[in-house]
Amino acid sequence: MSDDHDHHAPIEGGDEISEFDVLETAIRELAIEKGLFSAEDHRRFMEWAEGIGPHGGSRLVARAWLDPHFKQRLLADGTETSKEIGIDWLDPTGTGTPSDFTYFYVLENTPAVHNVIVCTLCSCYPRPVLGQAPEWYKTPHYRRRVVRWPREVLAEFGLHLPPGVEVRVHDSNQKSRFMVLPMRPAGTEGWSEDQLAAIVTRDTMIGVAVPRADWNADRAPTEVRS
Amino acid sequence: MTVGGPYPVLMASVRSVGPPGGESARAPAPWEANTQATCDCLSRHGTLDPVERRRAEDELGATVYADFPVRARPLVVTAHALLELGAISEPELEAKMNAVRARFRKA
Repeated sequence: MSDDHDHHAPIEGGDEISEFDVLETAIRELAIEKGLFSAEDHRRFMEWAEGIGPHGGSRLVARAWLDPHFKQRLLADGTETSKEIGIDWLDPTGTGTPSDFTYFYVLENTPAVHNVIVCTLCSCYPRPVLGQAPEWYKTPHYRRRVVRWPREVLAEFGLHLPPGVEVRVHDSNQKSRFMVLPMRPAGTEGWSEDQLAAIVTRDTMIGVAVPRADWNADRAPTEVRS
Repeated sequence: MTVGGPYPVLMASVRSVGPPGGESARAPAPWEANTQATCDCLSRHGTLDPVERRRAEDELGATVYADFPVRARPLVVTAHALLELGAISEPELEAKMNAVRARFRKA
């Protein structure tokens, strides 16, 4: 191993460093030097932002399934109703990220309508409720194709929708972030909020999958399904 | 499994990626995440209101900084806002950028 390591080319700084790297570092270091925040503050925000998962979104969905009034509020005003589970899109000390501030819309799936989200321009994503976007969400082929051929793209994820179901694709942007409220699957009658939240995985809230009573994202997908 | 290869079919797909600036360049750069955290810090400490910054991104991004990629706008507008607020000066920023550039490119 050490021999291999010794044979690596030295890291060349030159072409790898963009002017945006330089500007970002300069701004951050000047702000720290002037006491606007500390290097540790910055590190903590980085660590925290990178650790947000889809649990907030799962909680919103599970509660909406159990409480029709909550669901009504969530569909009417996603940004405000997120606060009820401790996610404030404006408060950096909460679970939200102010840099993502925008209008947050929750889209309800029904037997007749299936929603799916995308950001055709870049990779806008409802981070406060779903965490960091999956890599495939940022790829040009997903972004470009899902708006044109949504059924085909969903089928590539293993989601085959009946012809009678209308597919609606929602394009995120700086002003609008979306999340899908999937339909509650059969076989979950009498379940608690925690039990329900466990089956509401990230992809079901993006819209490329639907929740199942017998599956959650904490399990390693080793089972072979027919 | 033996090591074998390289397989032309795989090597062709590598070549198709092309030089930096193609599809692979769409992956978020570290400076984007760093900028996000800087904005969070500036907001937390009351230096820069996040909603005002978003508005400025929209306005300046469509006008003064329209030539910048969309993903660079938060960074450029944060720098712009700190200059506008007088929190940093243009000569300071220029000097710091020169120093950072020299540091990063040091052999």
